[in-house]
Amino acid sequence: MEHEDAEPDKAEPEAMNAGIALDSTLLDVVREVPRSMDAFLAQVERRAWRMAELNLGNREDALDAVQDAMMRLVQHYSGKPAEEWTPLFWGILRRRIVDLQRRRKVRSIVVGWLGGGKDDDGDELPAWEPADEGPDPSAKLQDAQAYNDIATAVRTLPRRQREAFMLRVLEGLDVAETAAAMGCSDGSVKTHLSRAMHALRDQLEAWR
Amino acid sequence: MSQRDEDIKRRARELYLRASSEVDPATAGRLRAARRNALDKPQAHATRRMLLPAGAFAVVALASLMLWQPLTGSSSAPTKAVQSVEADSDLPPDADSADPALYQNLDFYGWLATDQRAASPTR
Repeated sequence: MEHEDAEPDKAEPEAMNAGIALDSTLLDVVREVPRSMDAFLAQVERRAWRMAELNLGNREDALDAVQDAMMRLVQHYSGKPAEEWTPLFWGILRRRIVDLQRRRKVRSIVVGWLGGGKDDDGDELPAWEPADEGPDPSAKLQDAQAYNDIATAVRTLPRRQREAFMLRVLEGLDVAETAAAMGCSDGSVKTHLSRAMHALRDQLEAWR
Repeated sequence: MSQRDEDIKRRARELYLRASSEVDPATAGRLRAARRNALDKPQAHATRRMLLPAGAFAVVALASLMLWQPLTGSSSAPTKAVQSVEADSDLPPDADSADPALYQNLDFYGWLATDQRAASPTR
């Protein structure tokens, strides 16, 4: 993976750079139909990386997964209507994440058999350092802690429940888009999400 | 769905979007590079798309040439046979294709051939 500190990008949504407080405007930006593939990828790349990091618990693996998903989307689906890119992209990323998780599992088994001790590719806790812009440092600390708590709780969910929660709740896809990305029926999405919410409710009793 | 579920969803989404908008600059730069890399790849595909018809055309042209040559080659085959026969001095020349003057001076050419064979060991 290339290390390139690129100059500011015109395609990148302003909300991503400005670090503004979340409001309905930003939520609308998330669902805006993109003008071009570049604009679409600029819109989703950071969220995609966060989602991959939440799933994989590893920043480098998350970058690999996002890069691969971008390449596959561009190579195979850039001719599709822009409205279809969202479920296609998240579906590709979901499969890539599953592939990486399986590979790591196999690797850890092999390392265990060989008596190599702990696999150094272990999980990290997804960390987020909120931008130092607000007047209240305690709120910033509280947000960072809340993010770590939800990340930890989400990662304990079974895979399909986790995928349903992330795509439907965090990413805000509708049921049909989530079903397309997960490769299952609408009913399955609702079932997985219901179970995920039940588990999270139990785990996050005092969470705010 | 309970109010608690709604609170969890709203708060989780808010944190996720904020965390995504505040990715560290190094990671953001690498994501931009990954995007550009992904978007540059189709150009290679476009080149390949242009090379593919050119390659196909070359193959068709080569195949046509290979088919055409045996067809044209069949008309020139008797000439080659005559040439090879003429090259072999032990056989008499073909009466249909040979120069009539050759037959008129056949005795002279026979003498010349035997005379050269006799003369060559002395050189």
